[in-house]
Amino acid sequence: MHLNVSFMLEDFPVVLKALPVTLGLTVLSYAGAFLIACLFGAVILHKTKVLYPLILVFNTVVKGIPLLIQLLFCYYGIPQLLKLLSEKTDLIRYDPKHLSYFAFAAVAFSINYGAYMTDVVVSSFKAVDPGQREAADAIGMTKLQGIWYITGLQALKISIPGLSNYFMWLLKATSLASITNVFELLATSRASTADNYAILEGYIVAAAIYWAVCLIAEHLLKKLNQAMKQEEMINEHGRTGTYQKEAWWKRNPERCEPVR
Amino acid sequence: MFYGQELFGESIPILIRFIPVTLFYFLVPTAISLLFGAWICKVRTGKKGLLYRIVSLFVSFFRGTPGLLQLYLVFFGLPQLALLFGYNINRWHPGFFYIVATCLNFSAFVSEAYRGAYEAIDKGQIEAGIAIGFNRFQNFLYVIAPLTLKTALPNLKNLEIDLLKGTATAYVIGVVDVMGRADKLVSLHRGYGQLWILSAAGLIYFLINVVVEVVFSLTEKRLRLSERSVHAS
Repeated sequence: MHLNVSFMLEDFPVVLKALPVTLGLTVLSYAGAFLIACLFGAVILHKTKVLYPLILVFNTVVKGIPLLIQLLFCYYGIPQLLKLLSEKTDLIRYDPKHLSYFAFAAVAFSINYGAYMTDVVVSSFKAVDPGQREAADAIGMTKLQGIWYITGLQALKISIPGLSNYFMWLLKATSLASITNVFELLATSRASTADNYAILEGYIVAAAIYWAVCLIAEHLLKKLNQAMKQEEMINEHGRTGTYQKEAWWKRNPERCEPVR
Repeated sequence: MFYGQELFGESIPILIRFIPVTLFYFLVPTAISLLFGAWICKVRTGKKGLLYRIVSLFVSFFRGTPGLLQLYLVFFGLPQLALLFGYNINRWHPGFFYIVATCLNFSAFVSEAYRGAYEAIDKGQIEAGIAIGFNRFQNFLYVIAPLTLKTALPNLKNLEIDLLKGTATAYVIGVVDVMGRADKLVSLHRGYGQLWILSAAGLIYFLINVVVEVVFSLTEKRLRLSERSVHAS
């Protein structure tokens, strides 16, 4: 095996330039997915009449079909939809030469991850102590105020581990967009090797960058989770009050191992 | 926009014939990864030696990079690696490379699911096994393995469903399964009615998914029943 190391070093900054595209796609899709999850979650929790079964069916279908097919569906379908719209109305101008594949991919990722994150939103709202909602009612808040000031934040806090998990998944899943003409990290690494066919080297560079980004993102999310947990402890026990660390036998499990 | 609807009906019988191929690329990596993942889990829960470091690095890499990229890495890298040992595997079936890549990826995830479950099980159970005179192998077979599997089952279910849907990506290296055939149909018709062909493929994947999900739910139910009978008696 002969790896062209000098080319890999040369290629590194070239591929790294595409990192903002990957991160942008991830963040944009994540924001879209979160919005969809909140809307769907609201409908599911409220049990709106016609929408509720519709959204349940929609979510099941989205979760049951490979993300790749949804991505290709948006890739082929949205341009046709735009064309149809531009023929019917004057609102949109359809320009087949300048299609934003980035946006189409973002739509596909948003819908797919929105369906998954709906479950997280619903279950974390259900996990909030019902007494909190009752308390909000009791002091005369409207329903919306209660969600905004009391239960929403608590649900958000509960949902953070689940949501951060999906962020990691999404970060890796955006590599699929390379199939649909989006020049993110993977597609750039392939294109950058077009001159000398050092395809493997290009992919190794991409893998190194992905690995580093994932490790950093995981570390940051872990920090966030820890901070949340600590704050919860302080809320429960007071900053200086009765809170103590876990019992010593839980802290030192190796000293309580059974003798074999 | 909605032209080509006749292709939906036409492509379904063609695509249905490729369901066994998709199932093959789903079940083979599953079988290998469940075993390999168990070995990784064993190393990761054992003492922290050199092997532990290597395996941890392996798990971190395969969990920290996209599956598609790993597929490309194996597809382009493995033949070069084999050439070092004097084997030419350049012309081997792309399905082989898909299976290798998926096994590596999936066993990393499975091992983490196992590890979470293993650390969650009550250590008193293991002690009880030792107390009634099981040797290490018996203890693993009758106590640790069933408890771990039972705890890991919900996680495994999600992973399996992801794996099943992930088989669709195999077509990028030329594997002809349901998705690969659908892609060929799309290019055969030069893009005419591509949305309908994709919908047909999506429908087939959805139905396979439903079956897998039902199988897992039945298993979960069965396990819960056995648990209840233990507590009742």
